[in-house]
Amino acid sequence: MAQPSHLMANPCAAFEEDLVLMHYGDLTGTELNALQAHVPGCSGCSAYLEELGKLLPLTVKTDEPSQDFWTHYNRELRAKLDDAGAKRSWGEKISELLQVRWVPVFATAAVIALALTFTIGKGIWPSKDNSPEDEAFMEVLPVAENLDFFKSMDVLDDLDLLEFLGNQSNNNA
Amino acid sequence: MKSGDEELVALAQKGDRRAFEELVDRHKQKAYHIAFDFARDREDAKDLSQDAFLKAFMNLKKFDGRSGFYTWFYRILVNVCLDYKRRQKRAPSDEFDETAMKQVEPSHQPAAPIAPDQHVWVGQFSRKVDDALAALPAKQRTAFILKNHQGLSIREIAAMMETAEGTVKVHLHRAVTTLRRSLAEFA
Repeated sequence: MAQPSHLMANPCAAFEEDLVLMHYGDLTGTELNALQAHVPGCSGCSAYLEELGKLLPLTVKTDEPSQDFWTHYNRELRAKLDDAGAKRSWGEKISELLQVRWVPVFATAAVIALALTFTIGKGIWPSKDNSPEDEAFMEVLPVAENLDFFKSMDVLDDLDLLEFLGNQSNNNA
Repeated sequence: MKSGDEELVALAQKGDRRAFEELVDRHKQKAYHIAFDFARDREDAKDLSQDAFLKAFMNLKKFDGRSGFYTWFYRILVNVCLDYKRRQKRAPSDEFDETAMKQVEPSHQPAAPIAPDQHVWVGQFSRKVDDALAALPAKQRTAFILKNHQGLSIREIAAMMETAEGTVKVHLHRAVTTLRRSLAEFA
């Protein structure tokens, strides 16, 4: 086991990135050849490689759970999948209703409903804006306006009568 | 991608639950270990890997097969793990989890009993590694864990992270440099 040494290797800056890849075995081709030629003669780079080889594996924490853990894991996941499946089936039903092929049907139904509301419904549903007293006043108002007309007609009748009486007196004379 | 995953995915997409459960059986151990590398806690790793399977199940119909199921699923898993780390950062806990330390020891620990001073050193080192990993930026941590802990190739990591191979190499190098500095006293 490595013990604290407080010493850090000092690799060549130009090769540092490739040295990391070399440590993991991910370096190929010309880069690998160049490094293989360089490292043996460079104490800093070879020390760096050695340090990576010691340090990096120590950062790995492993955990191997028992068979019981996996049995429990499977049971728990199956229950979660059941729940998710039930939620998804509801979601699928709703999304199926909202699919593109249903849009024209919904749009047509909405237009028909609006048309019926504005035509047939107009006479059926009373307006909620006016109170019953207002409604009665609205019915009487045209009649009241006509009263002036009838008064005018009475005046005309009076004029006719005066004219008739005038003519009669002239004839007598 | 393991042979047969495509067939199982196709069956699962048609609603075959058993096919999906077979996929879970194939990938659960690897998924758990990746989640454990991020969480470093058994219960959290279990929940995270299960969440990833659930997300995969819910989104299976969106999987178009352009990448392998393996790459697609592990991308989901890594994102779930990164979300978890982000949430954890928002609600940090200074408490030292003794149970987690007892539950899992670093892989280098020998099977034979170790001396008390070495035991202390192992505990200190383990905590220091946890802190150093947690302090890494998300992309560097992901690249490092997938390479150093899981041994994936640079190409596989790039596919999972949806980035260029060169970018993964840069993330990996920066992560190693930062960790090396953080763990200098143990070098």
